[in-house]
Amino acid sequence: MDLSTHDLGLDAARAVDPSDYALGGRTPRHAVRPASRDEVAQVLRAASRDRLVVVPWGGGGQLARAGAPARYDVALDLRGLDRVIEYEPEDLTLTAECGIPIATLAAAVAARGQELPLESAHPARATLGGVLAMNASGPRRRQLGGPRDRLLGARFVLGDGTLAHTGGKVVKNVAGHAVHRMLCGSRGTLAVLVEASLKLLPGPARRRALVFALPGWALADPARWAPIPRIEPSWLTVLGREHRGLVSGVPDTDAIAVVGLEDDGAWVDRQAEIVCDALGAPALTLEDADAIALRARVTDLPQSLGPVCLRFASPHVTPAALAPVAHQVWMASAVFHAPSGGLWLATEIAAAAEAVAVLGAHGFTLIDASPAGVAAPLVADAAAVPELRARLRAALDPHGVLDRGTTSS
Amino acid sequence: MSFTASDLAELRALLGDEGVLATDAALFTYEADALTLERFRPDVVVLPRSTDEIAAIVRWANAHGVPVTPRGAGTGLAGGATPMQGGVVLSLNRMGRILSVDADRMFAWVQPGLVNLQLSQQLAPLGLYFAPDPASQQVSTVGGNVATNAGGPHCLKYGVTFNHILGAVVVLADGSAVRLGGEAPDAANDDLLGVVCGSEGTLGIVTEICVRLMPKPAAVETMLFDFPSIVDACRTVSAVIAAGIVPAAMEIMDQHTTQLIEEWLHIGLPTDAAGVLLIEIDGPAESMRGQVEAVVAHAKAHGTGNIRIAQDAAERAAIWKGRKSAFGAYGRTQKGFYIMDGVVPRTRLAEALETIVGLADRHQLASGNVFHAGDGNLHPHILFDPDDPKAQADALEISHEILRMCIRMGGAISGEHGVGIEKRPMMSEMFAEADLATMERVRRAFDPACRLNPGKILPGGGGCGEGARSAREGIPARIGAMFPREDAEGPWI
Repeated sequence: MDLSTHDLGLDAARAVDPSDYALGGRTPRHAVRPASRDEVAQVLRAASRDRLVVVPWGGGGQLARAGAPARYDVALDLRGLDRVIEYEPEDLTLTAECGIPIATLAAAVAARGQELPLESAHPARATLGGVLAMNASGPRRRQLGGPRDRLLGARFVLGDGTLAHTGGKVVKNVAGHAVHRMLCGSRGTLAVLVEASLKLLPGPARRRALVFALPGWALADPARWAPIPRIEPSWLTVLGREHRGLVSGVPDTDAIAVVGLEDDGAWVDRQAEIVCDALGAPALTLEDADAIALRARVTDLPQSLGPVCLRFASPHVTPAALAPVAHQVWMASAVFHAPSGGLWLATEIAAAAEAVAVLGAHGFTLIDASPAGVAAPLVADAAAVPELRARLRAALDPHGVLDRGTTSS
Repeated sequence: MSFTASDLAELRALLGDEGVLATDAALFTYEADALTLERFRPDVVVLPRSTDEIAAIVRWANAHGVPVTPRGAGTGLAGGATPMQGGVVLSLNRMGRILSVDADRMFAWVQPGLVNLQLSQQLAPLGLYFAPDPASQQVSTVGGNVATNAGGPHCLKYGVTFNHILGAVVVLADGSAVRLGGEAPDAANDDLLGVVCGSEGTLGIVTEICVRLMPKPAAVETMLFDFPSIVDACRTVSAVIAAGIVPAAMEIMDQHTTQLIEEWLHIGLPTDAAGVLLIEIDGPAESMRGQVEAVVAHAKAHGTGNIRIAQDAAERAAIWKGRKSAFGAYGRTQKGFYIMDGVVPRTRLAEALETIVGLADRHQLASGNVFHAGDGNLHPHILFDPDDPKAQADALEISHEILRMCIRMGGAISGEHGVGIEKRPMMSEMFAEADLATMERVRRAFDPACRLNPGKILPGGGGCGEGARSAREGIPARIGAMFPREDAEGPWI
């Protein structure tokens, strides 16, 4: 049966073309783009009443690689919620609606010399809510923290249409249960984020990227890398051979490592000395805008890996962790953000399971795979954890409105 | 319920004789945390030594239908560790070890009863430390810090406890032990640890904690500025932040406070200034000079009189001793006083202080202000005669008005002490009914029978915030006077 915008409690003007929201080849019965959080709540109330399944959409970059939902009635495009609600530079805080692209936010705070502490591939497309819900991060994951670390509070809509708010907009706040933090990484399956408050950072005075050619042996010596975590570089990313085109002017080697230094000028100079003492002379040094541009290209990389893209987490902090697997064919596609231990790589479908097993033996845990179903994250949780998650889903989304049937756990 | 000899025998079989305390003296000791006027007697105190023992206690409590209230060092100021419904107080004091340290990858597994400062002291030879430093850190435990998501003077730059916790083993309300998060910063799913942190022991009992460690800063500079008006001190704070400098700490004391401290300790605090601003910066030695010069320039631009920069570690320690002695200094006045914990946006600090002073003046009560200015975290102290019912009522009214002001300004009713018992009535003013109902849904998903630390955080009304077991329900609206020992440096605020 056809579904109308009116059935979802909205004016017809909020309807958008469902064919733009296909997931895994499956098109929703209807698609809407509400313009306010109250309208989002109306949609979810109506969906709950009529037992519809709703998929919240931000920029769609991550969803594009998701599998087909088991059920898919409504695509809920949140990009109509795109206002900055409050930005007070002297408080280093910002509150915005969740459909705003993070590049827009980054530009707004950069104009005041500040830094948005969120990263994602394709930031002009990725929305605030999408970054939070997907727990997205980039090369600076350790320096900036994850989305949960920067989120001061949020408004969100539960599956039954309840509009709720937890946390606040001040940098210290221990009043009440921090439900907003639990929504980070929940992939839109616990609630729909509509508004978020963030703790910002001052922008650094100087940014520099040192690019090193890494022959295979260069990874294997832990002592070579040991001094680097202690000086806390903003980022240190190892890129497999396939990505050497990302930086021109670097010799053809097995891999490249980029050390990103972002701080005041005196400390960046000193950090660079320490890094060069440890690793030798860089093949290339990029300053400020060039360093930012390279970081942006590196941040985008994981989203273009394929045909299978695997994302791993690890406690490792230096490139030496890659030494035992450096000879593997699939390491040519690797993107490893060393300070936070995050590793992305591409494999053929047939090779994915083996890559997961090999890396698992070296401390890398698969936490995401696309296309969905090609490899499942290794969930070693005691049975009580999935049971708890199920109770939380039932509590926040009693009618399964946000349960599209493709999430893990 | 009242515990029978058979109940105690069962617990002793689980924990050994020394793990179960049931004497009158022991039960009295555990009636309250640092919010001492709210006292509720537990039926038993247990001191487990392992995750397995904690799980066994929780299962035993489930089988007997009794509540369990976890407790660290008991330094909480909001009554979070007070057993409102009696039952079992589960003290983590016998679980105070560092389990492992990975210095290269900068994390450690610790037990929850480990004292915060001992962790950093033991890590010092490795050049690492645990950044959260609540002023209670000489006493308070890492588990307690997780439960209250503790802050501290240096959380301005480094973040609160939650930002430094990678993972934890948690005993859930059904007695199962699970691991949430881990050594890696990211995981496959939604962040359950994120909601457990700061839940004041209501969602689970944290039994092992993976803490993120930081390299110890190479250099520290501690500066003290005096100002002819506290408003100027507040404006300096905003100016420094706006200039892109995030000091490790920015603390303000008003004249009332500095005079009391100086009368006591004679450490050279300027007593004729309306406000004193302490700014500490830390980081690489290369960065210090430029930041010191910038901070001093901002302070001068806002009218600072005298500038004192600590010349060595001893002078730095003396300055911090002054700051951390505020609590003890108030206690020396021999009056009751009430410490509050509220937050306003940093840019509204000056306005907030004027309001606080105005409220106290209107009721003819003295107030002192010492606060974490960098993050807008106020700790107003209202001084009153606890034997005077009118003064007590006035102090209560002032405290509620101050918290309402925090809410109006877009702040919070607690920055670091937690809600516990004390702030429950204010939760309904800060949050809408739907917000509280959402929190209750999450709480019930974790703990369907509300057995873990019942009566805390959420306001009453039939949910998990339902209050005390006795006729003392309603007490949270009362005010508690605090009488610290005079020798206490005040590791509290």
